[in-house]
Amino acid sequence: MEKTNDTKRDIWALVNRAGIGLALIGLVVFFSVSTEHFLSANNLTNILTQITINLILAVGMTFVILVGGIDLSVGSVMAFAAVVAGKVLAMPELGLAEAVTLATIAGLLGGVVCGLLNGYLSARWAIPSFIITLGMLNIARGAALQVTNAQTVYDFPKEFSEFGASLIAGVPVVFILALLLVAVAWFILNQTVLGRMIYSIGSNEEAVRLAGHSVFRYKLIAFTICGLCAGIAAIVYMARLNIASPIAGIGFELNAIAAVIIGGASLNGGRGSVIGTLLGAFIIGVLANGLILLGLSDFMRQMITGVVLIVAVLLDQFRARYGRSV
Amino acid sequence: MSASPNFQDTLPKGQDVLTVTRLKKHFGGVKALDGVDFALRRGEIHALVGENGAGKSTLIRVLTGVHTTSDGVITLEGARYAPQTPHEAKGRGVQVVHQEFNLLDHLSVAENISIEALPRGRFGLFDRKETRRRARAALDAIGLTDVDVDAEISSLGIAHRQLVEIARALQTKSTILILDEPTATLTDRETLRLFDIVLKLAADGVTVVFVSHHLDEVFRICDRVTVFRNGRTIITQNISDTSPAEVVRHMVGRDLDQPLTQRPAVPDDAPVALALRDFRIVGCRDAGGVTFDLRYGEILGIAGLVGAGRTELLRGIFGVDPVVSGALQRDGKPVQFVNPAQAIASGLAFVTEDRKDEGLILSMPIATNTSLASMNLITRLGLLRRDAEATLATAQGAKLHLKFGKITDPVSSLSGGNQQKVVLAKWLATQPRVLLLDEPTRGVDVGAKAEIYTILRGLADSGIAMLVVSSELPELMTLCDRILVMAEDVIQGSVLPKDYTAENILRLAYGQN
Repeated sequence: MEKTNDTKRDIWALVNRAGIGLALIGLVVFFSVSTEHFLSANNLTNILTQITINLILAVGMTFVILVGGIDLSVGSVMAFAAVVAGKVLAMPELGLAEAVTLATIAGLLGGVVCGLLNGYLSARWAIPSFIITLGMLNIARGAALQVTNAQTVYDFPKEFSEFGASLIAGVPVVFILALLLVAVAWFILNQTVLGRMIYSIGSNEEAVRLAGHSVFRYKLIAFTICGLCAGIAAIVYMARLNIASPIAGIGFELNAIAAVIIGGASLNGGRGSVIGTLLGAFIIGVLANGLILLGLSDFMRQMITGVVLIVAVLLDQFRARYGRSV
Repeated sequence: MSASPNFQDTLPKGQDVLTVTRLKKHFGGVKALDGVDFALRRGEIHALVGENGAGKSTLIRVLTGVHTTSDGVITLEGARYAPQTPHEAKGRGVQVVHQEFNLLDHLSVAENISIEALPRGRFGLFDRKETRRRARAALDAIGLTDVDVDAEISSLGIAHRQLVEIARALQTKSTILILDEPTATLTDRETLRLFDIVLKLAADGVTVVFVSHHLDEVFRICDRVTVFRNGRTIITQNISDTSPAEVVRHMVGRDLDQPLTQRPAVPDDAPVALALRDFRIVGCRDAGGVTFDLRYGEILGIAGLVGAGRTELLRGIFGVDPVVSGALQRDGKPVQFVNPAQAIASGLAFVTEDRKDEGLILSMPIATNTSLASMNLITRLGLLRRDAEATLATAQGAKLHLKFGKITDPVSSLSGGNQQKVVLAKWLATQPRVLLLDEPTRGVDVGAKAEIYTILRGLADSGIAMLVVSSELPELMTLCDRILVMAEDVIQGSVLPKDYTAENILRLAYGQN
């Protein structure tokens, strides 16, 4: 009796996991057949470039959602980190290597500080992260505008943007960077104590606390990782566009959350995976690209992305319900 | 409206009101119900007993329209009964009060009682006055005259919440009232009150189905008992024709092992593992605090009513809740735990009362749960060693005779008794010297209970000091070398095995020494 039960659950888990992959393959096939240019090398490179920033933000978001939190501030934090890094990068008195190194450090630090604050305030005082990060969304955006006087920062070294545009075998270097980040995140979440604690806290915080672990510490780390990813996204964004705009990244938090949720994570925490997030980011990116190639307006694309998000969550609910009644 | 609940009394008492014939319900390959036959008579109190997983819960879900099945026949008052939704079941007069409460914490008692059909006044607006009137009538009908209908649910104790649920269930037409483990969280005094209400309802012609693990209660108020095992009904008997021992025999399908023999007393010169001196935690109502010594090898029980401060005491010792004053000594040395990590480092372990909320991560594997409090044993440089984890969990599981499929199965796939063993395994993996246990066998079936007692006895024999909080007096009297009785956050007295009677303990618990 138990056995068939298990097998059935395993099959469902597989379908559920593979489901996202199958949906992605389906989309790719559909757009390959229905549009002329989808499969062209140029366009594929394009897609990879387009999803890179969302993927980086979504990897950080995965950590926060797994501990049962949410980070609404990543778009603003990315802009803040970018203008801080941009200010450093545009200093004419610095040599190239110095400027890039210092700017990268400044950008990452900007993201880390925001993430730390998010984590500290929400975990230390048990305030819903939704509220703290909503505050941070405004603070970081305001800070970005204040620092730059609402002016876009530019005049970056030429080599910097060349790096942002460079390809290896048709694959953007920045995308490879993002994939590396996915690999590191996977390793942390699956092979380390930190990852185990992040999943456990999202599933039952009280049990973890009573087992003698510091829930506060691990939540702080999760939010800091999310901030760090926003900092990384900021550097990549600058390298790609060769500017740092204080109004960059508006609404990016929503796409990042969507990627994580489409990837099978639960907003209650404890369930989800960074591989799912990778596929989720791909689905959003492929949809965006394919629908425009089909000649649909950007507004239509937005609507369809929303529908996909809802359908993904609905499917997940059905799965959960089936799982319970077995 | 009369002061009496609204029920149908068209049929004479004693006649079959509900019959279930060859009822089956399969979930995939799992036969939750595999041929259930039984009947309920009007106005009787009918107990359903059986080990966890025997099929009681599934039967209740079918009777209340949560699950549907086409395999088998149910008739209610002579008509075919196959409710498709809980709403339909309620409409036919089948009411249930669940073990887990379905009350809205931040609404008033009155609003909760009327929540299924809030009264509307003019313009369809919410009629507060009528809501309060109905609530008052419903509460008075079951003798709850002391409950304020405007009180917020969150301000009521657990016992009153349960009674409010019963009042809510009974305000609509009730032919059958199902009480699912109604006394699990009640103290003895509250249980007595509940029984008064149940007896009155039965006298009024309502059929009460009483699901309980507590056979003494079953024998105290029920007319008949039906025993379930492995999804089948084994037998239905008049309470007057049977005995608890016989019922247990039907439940487990064999005779239970003899009760545990008396343990030799712990020698007075056994070293003291844990000592409390005037120990007071946040919210303590007593200026004096708690003082006692716990020796190695000793099982010290703490009895008391719900709300006496027993759980709070354990939480204070373990560093979960802050301590206000007094001292804690471990092996004679003063210690102060500001978090559980320090308590664990000092050799303490805490098996909490609530498996679901505090003890286990139900969705995660058995192995993960087992290693949760001893991560240092299964990690190197912050990396997990899954093979070490599996070895640890398998070894601990074997010691406790844990029954499981794979060590990577989620804990939620286990029965209550086996889940509790995983909680124990988690703490034993930390190699504790002092074990705090809060309601160690709650929601655990008879067979597993005896097994857990044997395990705990063995641990004490190996020298572990144990502090056991339990609301079940027989449990404490079976297990403990000494019982402290708590009331109002302070120790009222201590009872030794030669004086173990429920009366002696309850007298102290009610502060009548």
